[in-house]
Amino acid sequence: MISIPCEEHSLDNGLRIVLSPEPSVPIVAVNLWYDVGSRNEGPGQTGLAHLFEHMMFQGSRHVAGKQHFELLKRVGGWANATTWFDRTNYFETLPSHHLELALWLEADRMGWMLPALTAEKLEIERDVVKNERRQRLDNQPYGDSEERLLAMIYPPGHPYRHSVIGSMEDIDGFTLADLESFYRAYYAPDNAVLTLCGGFDSARALDWIERYFGGIPPGTGSREIPGDADAERENPTSPHQTVEADVPLARVYVAMRLPTFDDPAFPTADVASGILGKGRASRLHRSLTLDRGIAKHVGTYVDPRMTGASMMGVWATGNMGVEGRELEAAIAEEIDGLRAVAEKEVARAVAMAETAILRQLEVAARRADRLSMFATHFRDPTRLSGEIDRLRAVTPEAVEALVDARLGPENRAVLTYVPRASA
Amino acid sequence: MSPAGFPSTPPGPGPVAPFSLPAVHASRLDSGLEVRVVGRDGVPVVTALLVLDAGESTVARGEAGLAELTGSALHGGTARRSAVELACALEDMGARLGTGTYWDATEVWLTCTADRFPRALRLLSEVVLTPGFPREEVERTRERQLGGIRERRAFPAQLANAAAARFFFREGATYGRPMAGVEETVAGLERAQAADFAARRYRPRGAALVVAGDVSKAGVTDLCAECFGGWRGTAAPVEATAGARFGERRTVIIHRPGAVQSVLRIGHASVARATPDYFPMMVLNEVLGGDITSRLDLNLREDKGFTYGVRSRFVLRRSGGMFRIAAAVATEVTAAAVREVLAETERLVADGPTAAEVRDARDHLAGIFPLSMETTSGIAIRIAWAFVHGLPADYLARYRERVRAVEVEDVARAAVRRLHPDALTIVVAGDADRVAPELEALGPVEVHDDF
Repeated sequence: MISIPCEEHSLDNGLRIVLSPEPSVPIVAVNLWYDVGSRNEGPGQTGLAHLFEHMMFQGSRHVAGKQHFELLKRVGGWANATTWFDRTNYFETLPSHHLELALWLEADRMGWMLPALTAEKLEIERDVVKNERRQRLDNQPYGDSEERLLAMIYPPGHPYRHSVIGSMEDIDGFTLADLESFYRAYYAPDNAVLTLCGGFDSARALDWIERYFGGIPPGTGSREIPGDADAERENPTSPHQTVEADVPLARVYVAMRLPTFDDPAFPTADVASGILGKGRASRLHRSLTLDRGIAKHVGTYVDPRMTGASMMGVWATGNMGVEGRELEAAIAEEIDGLRAVAEKEVARAVAMAETAILRQLEVAARRADRLSMFATHFRDPTRLSGEIDRLRAVTPEAVEALVDARLGPENRAVLTYVPRASA
Repeated sequence: MSPAGFPSTPPGPGPVAPFSLPAVHASRLDSGLEVRVVGRDGVPVVTALLVLDAGESTVARGEAGLAELTGSALHGGTARRSAVELACALEDMGARLGTGTYWDATEVWLTCTADRFPRALRLLSEVVLTPGFPREEVERTRERQLGGIRERRAFPAQLANAAAARFFFREGATYGRPMAGVEETVAGLERAQAADFAARRYRPRGAALVVAGDVSKAGVTDLCAECFGGWRGTAAPVEATAGARFGERRTVIIHRPGAVQSVLRIGHASVARATPDYFPMMVLNEVLGGDITSRLDLNLREDKGFTYGVRSRFVLRRSGGMFRIAAAVATEVTAAAVREVLAETERLVADGPTAAEVRDARDHLAGIFPLSMETTSGIAIRIAWAFVHGLPADYLARYRERVRAVEVEDVARAAVRRLHPDALTIVVAGDADRVAPELEALGPVEVHDDF
């Protein structure tokens, strides 16, 4: 169904390489995954992985601050990076004849970022990140929902209990020494996967990669994940929270833990989430939005996690005057209702997921990112081609079993936002 | 210490990989519907995008929000199918159908796998040609739209955008309205108005259908004729009143007590999309605030840490447009950030850009163009909106050449002609008690508690 070219290589220093050449394409996507994310942050360190990602754009031994973006922009490329629970990814897409430039830039900061690190740069980027937090969370209605849900469903000490952006207090506390030890442990060829997708010649690309990355030494320092990622079976201890907010409409979130991405039941959860809330034929949309007319908007999401329990989120925003408890009851009814699903609904959810996967794969940067993911976490990038088959194997019985095992009332955490009386 | 052999300067390019625009097969049905087909192999998906001359600017003030209501209500079903039957028919195939409302057009789009495309396109035509608009569905859709309008005040970026539109234009100007309308107008919209709007505006003459993806040109052209052949009529031209307001510089604060950030929108009205200055303006914007490493971003983010990011934009429509700088800044640095924005804008108008800035901006815009054509939806959007804006048939083919032809003097001239630092309206959605005193030093300030 999907056939994506894929070659695997590695360097002596441990860097793993995935090449997906398509010679006729005039662009190339470069994608680098570091096997580090917010799960690697211990107490007092929340937000360190993300702040560090920002610092990676502030220059390295041969690249002045800002030059990373400037050099790539000038040649018609774009670049960015994101931090998530299990990984940090850096990526750029550019016209294929500039591939060597991107490899040089990534190698310079993987190998020699510390010589360019200064206290002044840290202070400015700290302010930028605090503004990012304000913009995404603190100055945004419902902006703290994810942070609250994480703390509700993951027990104390669990590496997924805190948000990726981290707390203001922790962001305020980081020192250059924190950044340096983080870099030495995680930013190293033996903790990374480099993927190229698009128009390039494999032999040529490998020569460049050996030349630029080959001399970077493996990392030093512990990569142990703090806390207990297996402490996932405990059900939420405070399963209900209500927040008054300056919003005119009530909103309810329901969160539940799911198996890790690698578990055979994970695709089942993906399908269950589709049946429940993806698209206009989904159960929540039909019931809450169309039949009962109580919701303005409904949705579900599944956030795959690699090291511990994944998470399913279900949410609904009420129409004017509809109360949170009515939404909550209606959502609960629909989740319970997944104990009986029709073959046809499974097929529909699979078809929708299939189209969504194919749309992602249209973009070289997304293909590269998925290959990096499978290479990083499963040492097997070719698993990408099996993704759709994994979904197609899901049965109604599997969905029903998942609901019993994972989505029961005792597994749910419920977060309700109610309009402040004065709003 | 980096090892021997690691070059200390960036490597240069290899032999240029040629980029050619995908071939666009253009035709027109007897009904007047323009059809564009772009074949593309690789991932087996297809995107179809129908653009209708049914933008919100064709709606009378008293019915503001009708374009959005009508577009959304297309999901309510067809003459033959209920809302649920329609959703199931599409989604059983994994097809997604969506609508979008803009000032200049209503979009109806479809994405699905290539093998299911013929069936899905027949459904798209059924939706547009024979909408059902069942009363109950229209009312539910209206209720959701009203909810969105009421929510607007809670979301600071949406609030600031609405305020910017209102204060960059004169009272009563079309573009000064919120695109989804206001409570007073939307609450009164009835099923009959949606049905009438569709009957008047969802017409083949004035519309275009773009299909991009893994399809055969001949097959799709026949399919389009089958699906849309019987459609008739013309969407009559409607002129929007742009209503630019160019007055003294002023500050408008939309009070949000306790806000930890101020959301800024600084700008003024601007010209229509057809302006001959378009390419110099795009390069100008790139230099000032187009992206990371622009003058504004280097100053406010990289140098001072005031914000997570600041961007400027010319939003150009059929009958006029606006220039708008957008950022969210920490409350305590609000006035300082506004001062820097004003100073950067003034400096660019007074001194013009440097040759290096113009070269880099031009190279970036021309170089990044192929990336915007990477997906079937990217291709379809580019082609459809070139049609909406009445751009010449060779517009996309010549895009990079025209960007590269922009000279430093063109950009300096565009700065003088198209940026008006003295007429900027500074919209601040933030805590007036904390930010107003310092902002008063910059000129007159009005505070709105209830916007």
